[in-house]
Amino acid sequence: MSDLVLEGVSKSFGGLRAVADVSFSVKAGRIFGLIGPNGAGKTTVFNLVTGVYKHDVGSIRFGSTNLLPLAPAKVAEVGIARTFQNIRLFTQLTVLENLLVACELQKRAHLAAAFFRTKVHYEDEELMHHRAMELLEVFGLQDAADEPSTSLPYGNQRRLEIARAMMLKPKLLLLDEPAAGMNYGEAEGLKTQIRWLRDKFDLTVVLVEHNMQVVMGVCEEIHVLDHGETIAHGTPAEVQNHPKVLAAYLGGDDDDDDDDEAGKAPPGAEAKKTGPASTATAKDAGSEP
Amino acid sequence: MMPASGKGVASVGKKAREPSKRGWAFAAAALVVVVVLELGLERMIPDSSIRQLLMLAACNVLVALSLNVINGMAGQFSIGHAGFVGLGAYTSAVVSAHLHEAMGGGEVTFAKSFVVVPIALLASAVVAGTFGYLVGLPSLRLKGDYLAIVTLGFAEIFRLLIATAQLGEKETIGEAAAKIGKDGVVGPFFHMLQVGITSLGGQNGYAGPKNQGLPLYAGPFWVFGLALVLGVLAYRLKFSGWGRALRALREDEIAAAAVGVDPTRYKVRSFVIAAVGAGIAGGLMAMNRDGTPTVQPDNYNFQASFDAITMVILGGSGSVTGAAIGGVLITFTVKAIEAVQSTRVVQDLKSSVPWLDLNALRMMLYAAVLIALMIWRPEGLLGERELFQKQKLRPLKLPKPSPDHPKPDEPDRAPAAAANEPAKPVVAAADEPAKSDGDEPEKGAPP
Repeated sequence: MSDLVLEGVSKSFGGLRAVADVSFSVKAGRIFGLIGPNGAGKTTVFNLVTGVYKHDVGSIRFGSTNLLPLAPAKVAEVGIARTFQNIRLFTQLTVLENLLVACELQKRAHLAAAFFRTKVHYEDEELMHHRAMELLEVFGLQDAADEPSTSLPYGNQRRLEIARAMMLKPKLLLLDEPAAGMNYGEAEGLKTQIRWLRDKFDLTVVLVEHNMQVVMGVCEEIHVLDHGETIAHGTPAEVQNHPKVLAAYLGGDDDDDDDDEAGKAPPGAEAKKTGPASTATAKDAGSEP
Repeated sequence: MMPASGKGVASVGKKAREPSKRGWAFAAAALVVVVVLELGLERMIPDSSIRQLLMLAACNVLVALSLNVINGMAGQFSIGHAGFVGLGAYTSAVVSAHLHEAMGGGEVTFAKSFVVVPIALLASAVVAGTFGYLVGLPSLRLKGDYLAIVTLGFAEIFRLLIATAQLGEKETIGEAAAKIGKDGVVGPFFHMLQVGITSLGGQNGYAGPKNQGLPLYAGPFWVFGLALVLGVLAYRLKFSGWGRALRALREDEIAAAAVGVDPTRYKVRSFVIAAVGAGIAGGLMAMNRDGTPTVQPDNYNFQASFDAITMVILGGSGSVTGAAIGGVLITFTVKAIEAVQSTRVVQDLKSSVPWLDLNALRMMLYAAVLIALMIWRPEGLLGERELFQKQKLRPLKLPKPSPDHPKPDEPDRAPAAAANEPAKPVVAAADEPAKSDGDEPEKGAPP
């Protein structure tokens, strides 16, 4: 099993330090939360891990693999799958095809096999169809397999993205705000799913999330970023009561840079304030194996 | 790989390959048809200009099919496709002319074409593919419209290099090549290149090593036969994992890369495939039995590239049959416009209005067709669909989970109930993995 280890990672965009000297390690098999106010650099960390951006300083390793020189497609080959904050489905493809794209790496058939329709080509296609349909069933999307992916309701699009990531047979799954736009019930379902996926597929899960109901309910370890810097790290209980975290979320002397999503900020802050307390019972129930 | 599903795959695999019997029947019928056309087209259609039009249409279908791979399927805008067609044409012209000489000249026969055409077309494919790789690799690594500019530049450089080559002192390539090493390397090398390019005839076109005209080996058998074969290959490419990956790449490069589809690799390879197809199309044009026995640089100018793009867009970007239809339609449209230009009415009009430019008429008609297309069918005639789209390879229907074993996402389908009892889904999920082990090969897969 491989751990994800970040050591002293920094990334600047021009004069903006998006991620500053962040270090943490995610043990294999953990469900790990990466949280922080808007603009804290959480998604940037994901983009650094998956090779979309290259970090300036520090090292990111997955098991014994140094991820710095790897292009995104190579990172996927190493066994790291991700979802995106703003859903990125292949909109012209059907639900099933969205999943099938993700198995290009596992195919034995190469281009010539597709041209000449060899036995390997058909075996591969059947195998991948089979796997894709199984995963769609896991996510309850099997009836929509031939629909265009954009015809799915929002929550199902998010789950389709997770299913697509799972097609890679990843060892590490990075979820970028999987609960965004979900209501209370859907978020509860998501928690169950994340835990279930981890157990069933021997996954390591890292999630970036604003929905504290999900974060506190499902994460075993939490790392908190603000303005690109680490402000806290620990179990959900430790993080919830950490003074710096409370200051960052509820506004202390430190002024939040919520201006980029000004419209969303007030209700979001509200949810965060009440979130941890109201879901405490759900969390306790959930963390018991 | 996956023991649990191995058995199913074997049985289903056989079912999926069943149409191959029909495939063989189709291939045999096609073979008969092209042989009959080869032997009998002259008697069926005595007018050589119509034969030429039909053969040209088939060649243009190949141009459109190949361009469709990179423009339609991969969504990369290449506007110098005629450059690759021209490369293929010149390569085939040179190779077939020299082969013809080497085989002792004489009459062009169907039997000899089985030696000349495959070798010439293979050479065209290799040369065009190599240049495709060299052009594609640097420009496809970048996002955006670089490919359009680079391909345009490539096609124009290719054409102008040949068209403007000046005949200097008479010297064969062998003599020029012999100087390499004796008088240094770089200078003589470029000198040899210059002699080589000059030997292609400049603006007047290439007509064989002794200027006696090219041997026209590609009869209807080769032209229509290859159009069919490459059409089937293009279709297979589209309906394979590769084609799916290209479409995904076109939709969202970042997401495609995140699931392991390397954008540069897929784009460069599809660009090379497109260049190879264009090279073969060009080779067939050069050796076309009813064509002219010369290859002219101006046949591969920007207008030709633009016609190729029009074929793909007219037929429907990404559609194989659409590209073929586009190829035929544009060939006929261009011909029809030429026919209209030569009618009495237009000629009379021209003589009474001296400033009227007949080329402008062609452009106007052409533009009118395109504007009409953009208004009524902005996605092309077929969009991305195919004319005879086969039933998609149907996935296996897995046994439906019985209602008393809810999937872990059950609460999401009934949010109201879940909201009231948040603890329930956890129990359901704990049940779930054990119950579904039987139909989940993943559990057995990791060693």
